[in-house]
Amino acid sequence: MSYAPPEENTLGVILGRGKRREADATSRVIRAATPRRASLGTGFIGIGAAVVVGLRAIYGFVWFVGLYPTYPNPLFAALAWGILLAVLIAVFVTARVIGDQLPDWMFAIFLVGLAAAVALDLYAIWPLNDIGRHATAAVTAGMALVIIVTLRRGRDIVIATGVLGAVLAVAMVLNTRFVPEDIAPQVTALAFAVLPPVIGVVIVRGFRRLVQVELDRVLVQSTVSAPRFAVGMMASEELARLDLAAEELLDSVATGKTKLPLDPKTASLAASLATELRLHLIEGRRETWLYHAITESDLLGKSVTLTDKASLAGLLDPQQRDGLLSAAWLIVSDTTKTNSGRSVQIAVGPVTAAVETGTGHKITVPIVITTTGVARNRVDPATWDAFRKVGQYSDSTQNSSLRVDIECLVDNPADQ
Amino acid sequence: MDLIAKERDRLLQRTARVYGLSFTVVSLLCLSIPGAVDPVAYLVSLPLYLIIGLCQWRIGVSRSLLWVLPSFLAGLVVLGGVTMLGDGPTQAGVSAMAQLTGASLASAAIVLTNDALRRVVLGVAFVVIGGATAWLLAPYQAMGRTIALYVLGWTLATIIGFWISAGVPQAARRIASIGRAHRAERQASETEAQRRQGARLLHDTVLATLTLLAHSGVGVAPDAMRQQAADDARLLRQLRLGATPMPESSGVYNLEGASETVLGTTLESVKQRFGRMGLEVSWHGTGQVLLPSDVLDAFLLALAECLENVRRHSGVTEAHVTITEDETMIRAMVTDSGVGFVLDDVDSARLGFKDSVVARLREVGGKARLFSAPGSGTTVVLEVPR
Repeated sequence: MSYAPPEENTLGVILGRGKRREADATSRVIRAATPRRASLGTGFIGIGAAVVVGLRAIYGFVWFVGLYPTYPNPLFAALAWGILLAVLIAVFVTARVIGDQLPDWMFAIFLVGLAAAVALDLYAIWPLNDIGRHATAAVTAGMALVIIVTLRRGRDIVIATGVLGAVLAVAMVLNTRFVPEDIAPQVTALAFAVLPPVIGVVIVRGFRRLVQVELDRVLVQSTVSAPRFAVGMMASEELARLDLAAEELLDSVATGKTKLPLDPKTASLAASLATELRLHLIEGRRETWLYHAITESDLLGKSVTLTDKASLAGLLDPQQRDGLLSAAWLIVSDTTKTNSGRSVQIAVGPVTAAVETGTGHKITVPIVITTTGVARNRVDPATWDAFRKVGQYSDSTQNSSLRVDIECLVDNPADQ
Repeated sequence: MDLIAKERDRLLQRTARVYGLSFTVVSLLCLSIPGAVDPVAYLVSLPLYLIIGLCQWRIGVSRSLLWVLPSFLAGLVVLGGVTMLGDGPTQAGVSAMAQLTGASLASAAIVLTNDALRRVVLGVAFVVIGGATAWLLAPYQAMGRTIALYVLGWTLATIIGFWISAGVPQAARRIASIGRAHRAERQASETEAQRRQGARLLHDTVLATLTLLAHSGVGVAPDAMRQQAADDARLLRQLRLGATPMPESSGVYNLEGASETVLGTTLESVKQRFGRMGLEVSWHGTGQVLLPSDVLDAFLLALAECLENVRRHSGVTEAHVTITEDETMIRAMVTDSGVGFVLDDVDSARLGFKDSVVARLREVGGKARLFSAPGSGTTVVLEVPR
């Protein structure tokens, strides 16, 4: 029996898919956790889309049956419905079987099927000179695009919808008399064909964003239980890599593979390895959980700046950390626009006073949170609860934006 | 407040906004076709459409029912005006009304699925608006057709609302499990990093060897260089494989299980290492001192760093290390009779001395002092507590 390398390691990471390093921690973890990208909750949404499409198809089909006597040649319209239902069922079943994906070739077949259904339906009703009132399969074809809304990128669907809308509009202009009483059915038919997939794309995009944001938050949340100082997720990997590189270099020197004295290229490699290794070993590279939370998060990293010269954030207990993180999160994420210009500055320390409490010595760490572009009355109420977890706070307005001063009581590190 | 529930509501609200506004526009287009409705009814409807649009815009950002109900009310007034004023609507007007009640107003169903009160509102609105639509449009369009479209529109919107509400917790559960895995991974990675960073003396000798290699290994006998590289590579391999490296003769790395270690044996290996590289180190004073291993690590690291400086910069091949002890302190004096330097010219804050000597000694409660003058050698005094 020949040895085959495992396809997946014990952490669920798919092996052997190129060596490009993932800069984006979130997408790295998504990939690690879910081999198929679409399946993080969107599979369920996909089934919902299929239900909606099914209902709409039944409605359209009932219309078709009602209109049956008026067709000069109903065979073509019936054929259009046959094709439409066939591709819908085929796509639904395929997507479930191969796991919330639609390969390009399948997508192409789907589009060809839809195009055929639209063409046959239009051909069947052409002599009637009123597409808006008689098109059934052609309009339902627009809704049919909703069934693949979780399986393909939004762009694909929007383009397909645009083409369908254009074809229907052109056919209407060519075919239908434009008298006032005939315009409304055309507009209605066009809207019913084009709007559902567009709305579907909006929903799925929103859902994916929700998943992304929640994932980002949950991943960063793990810093809450980190020790006072930590090297962060990447640093350990980097240190291991440097150690390995040094080991390989030393090994090749020891075995004589690399001749002494070294050539300049290898020597400079050794120099840069030594420099990097030195930097990694300096104690100062250890940072507090808050620093790691902000740098590791896609969302916080863009808009939060931290000033914590004495690394006092590390003294906060998990509950206080959770509160501070949630508050920053709520302020930054609670906005309808993505580029709203909101930013948050967190300044921690210096220590002001030692306090005697019933439970022991505590010191007060002042935390000042200043913001830009955050009106005080637009702050989510949950934010105040989050601040309360950190300590006694007072809020005010500075430069027409929110400012919060928190008196945070922490254990005196000298006692530990 | 659950943050993901907030995100879910936001998604529902935005969906309702896009859904509602797009069909409001379509309905208004149909209503604006000449002759669709009585002119007076049209003029009355326009501001009401504006109100509906505004409400639907606000539904996109606010969870309040106060934006849902006025849109229903305005819709019903439009419906009444269009059907009762003048001669009533033509086909276009009927289409506009069907879209308004069956799709535009139905969009609010998306945000009315979360809790009991909202579901009641949804049910009542469905019945009232549906009844009004069927009854008022009855003279202009077959009732079955009106009701079919109406029911379809509201059903689809309700399904969207329920389906998203049900889908979000599913996604949240999976995300939470990813989060747990990530937390475990973070802890593991932190432990691993600490283990590697903790292996300081190993890294110290590796760094010294790498620095020699960075100068192409010039000035050291190739055999000694290879021997040193082999020792270090072996230690790194042991570290990588997760074993506890137990060096017997190589470098100064010491990982004996005991929390206290005898200074003498490790001093001897420092001496051997520098001997291979061409610096003769003479030991004076006490050799048998027990130190906690972290203090020992820092002490030896600083010592080796000082000797490395002597080797590189002093221009002599001999250094003296004198170890003395008292009740509280262990003191090492590293002296050479080399070229020396002006203290102010060579800033002691340079990365090498400050980070590798001063900082690590300070960490275990020790300190370092530097004395030198051009032509009269250099003396470094290192102190650590016992």
